Amino acid sequence: MTHDVTITVDTAALRHNVEVLRAAVAPAAVMAVVKANAYGHGAVECARAFVEAGVDWLGVADLTEAVALRRAGVEAPVLAWLHAPGEDFVEAAALGITPAVSSVDQLEAAVAAGVRAVHLAIDTGLSRNGAVESEWPELFDRAAGHAAVVPVEGLMTHVSNASSEEDGLQTARFARAAAMLDERGVRPPLLHVAASAAALDYVGSRATMVRFGLASYGLSPYPDRTSAELGLRPAMTVTAPVTTVKRIPAGEGVSYGYLFRPERDTSIAIVPAGYADGIDRAASERASVTIGQRTYRVRGRIAMNALVIDVGDDPVEIGDEVVLFGDPALGRQSAADWADAMGGITYEVVACLAAGLTRRYTA
Amino acid sequence: MSAATSLRRATVDLAAYRANLESLIARLDPVEILAIVKADAYSHGADVLVPEAVAAGIRWFGTVELEPALRMRRLGIGGDASFFAWQLSPSDDLEAAVDLQVDLGVSTLDQLESVAAVARARGGVALLHLTIDTGLHREGCLPSDWPAFVARAVELRDEGVVRLRGIFSHVSETSEADDQAAARVFEKAVADAEAFGATVEKRHMSSSSAALEHPERRFDMVRMGSNGLGIPVTEGVTAADRGLRPVLTLSASVVKVKRVAAGTGVSYDYTFRAPSDTTLALVPLGYADGVSRRAQGAVHVVVNGAPRPIVGRVAMDQFLVDMGDDPVAVGDEVVLFGPGDRGEMTIGEWADATDTIPEEVACRVGARVPRVYVGGRP
Repeated sequence: MTHDVTITVDTAALRHNVEVLRAAVAPAAVMAVVKANAYGHGAVECARAFVEAGVDWLGVADLTEAVALRRAGVEAPVLAWLHAPGEDFVEAAALGITPAVSSVDQLEAAVAAGVRAVHLAIDTGLSRNGAVESEWPELFDRAAGHAAVVPVEGLMTHVSNASSEEDGLQTARFARAAAMLDERGVRPPLLHVAASAAALDYVGSRATMVRFGLASYGLSPYPDRTSAELGLRPAMTVTAPVTTVKRIPAGEGVSYGYLFRPERDTSIAIVPAGYADGIDRAASERASVTIGQRTYRVRGRIAMNALVIDVGDDPVEIGDEVVLFGDPALGRQSAADWADAMGGITYEVVACLAAGLTRRYTA
Repeated sequence: MSAATSLRRATVDLAAYRANLESLIARLDPVEILAIVKADAYSHGADVLVPEAVAAGIRWFGTVELEPALRMRRLGIGGDASFFAWQLSPSDDLEAAVDLQVDLGVSTLDQLESVAAVARARGGVALLHLTIDTGLHREGCLPSDWPAFVARAVELRDEGVVRLRGIFSHVSETSEADDQAAARVFEKAVADAEAFGATVEKRHMSSSSAALEHPERRFDMVRMGSNGLGIPVTEGVTAADRGLRPVLTLSASVVKVKRVAAGTGVSYDYTFRAPSDTTLALVPLGYADGVSRRAQGAVHVVVNGAPRPIVGRVAMDQFLVDMGDDPVAVGDEVVLFGPGDRGEMTIGEWADATDTIPEEVACRVGARVPRVYVGGRP
């Protein structure tokens, strides 16, 4: 919640990424996934940028997120797939939001509310959201029965990325579900299986639409391949100003727990970014940041609203801009570097950034 | 419940918050308690908690940064209580700080001069706490620079542009020996300041647990963040040990139930495969909502009165609970952490299990989780 931490999102990078991804999966349609505040990038502004870049669909997890987009004036097709118990879909219908339904109850409620169309979400092996195979016959029968009024516009599943063999099994199950629908006279124009990881790696998963989350923000879904190797540009840069610089004698402890005791006299700088901003405490002593072209290690424990960096004998001053991470092509640390530092994944580095942070958008 | 709260919610027990503060006030009397409401009161919602704290008898609030203090002042939240901010940034609106009488922690001569210049220009008086670095090496004036710093502060006080309200420090809580050493540095800084004629109203260096455990370091005021929220931060000490009640409960509703066969892979990478036929319940909370990926295999959640494991990867928006052969239905409540009354983990236990501290667990409950306030004053 520090107003000092600023997230700058390069909307040109968002547009570039969409173009690259669209070309990679053509002729499949493209959905940009903007759930979890657009993976921390800011849902409304990113949704607008993606629509401007020509994505066919926007995807979110729940209807609250979809409603927020509509209320902000985003008119593009929006799909939401994680629904509250007893959800009545009335607001979704009123705002032209398309629900993906995963049970007969959800389907019936959506039809009763008069939604414009539905997608059917099926479980092909991930064991999360999505109707399991034993539920398919009834769900598909009912959907076929309503199709004249509420069309089945899409059939979707989500793959586990466990291995290409597993993803292949899931894709085969998906094809079986599509065939079962076909037997009932239902041929959804939008068949979508893959998210970023599967879509870029496994052509067989692409169907007629691909959901791009992480990749559309320019981040690599693979631990062993960089954004640049995928032709993507990270859109997000996280910065904060130095608020304090002080000289520390050798051997003095720094920050909570005194994890860091410099071996020689050094200067430290305080950066007003901490775990309340979504900077994971597990990155303490492991992550690095940059000031200009120089890289500095985070020292001591990351606190709620501050972290400490060791700047040695460099002439760092109050107000200097510290880049926590951004585009590594510009010499910055990457979100993936922070993921490694905290023992996590790139997704959580960005998606956990606090909603209250200042977000700026550059064209 | 609205659609949003019927998916997931963070319930904030305001009665527990008031009771915790009242109990702490009674125990620490006559020492003043400054309630820390930084980071939106550890994500509990500062705008709601501050008036509750005032009702419990709190007269001082700490926000770390200036901006939230200014915002609450402008909204009239907290009435005439004092607000204290000490992590000043170059972009801060010091004019507003002087006009709105927010107490400021200052660490350097430059800060002192810029605050004084603003007060002079506004015809106002800046309320200052002189910050001494007693070893934590974040904000704070180093002891070697302290005499010149204090001397200048006294001159500015005599000029009438600043009021010396406090001398304060942060301690590292690394070890008892380190904290004792910090206390000696603090005492010397106070004595040196007094020798320069800088007598202040509030000397404060202790926070939360240290304040409870070490009466000799309470001085005039202590800063209480987590204890008020029922989060004891000392290892091995529970909220109950302290006579405190956890304020925050994180819960959600089951949104999907499925029976899977033995061998079925669960969630990304199939890190879990059902050892036998079992029932899985899908819970709409993920790491974007503050449920750490480290929770997999490390915590239990409570569903229908019984503890259950999280199985498979925690995803951005959801995780799965293994229900075995027990009944569960869409809509059943899943409690992640809370006061523990229903067998759920406390936030301290959750933090231990996910290899962090309870403050981080609280702060990282995301914006997608609606806060539901209960126990408000009649």
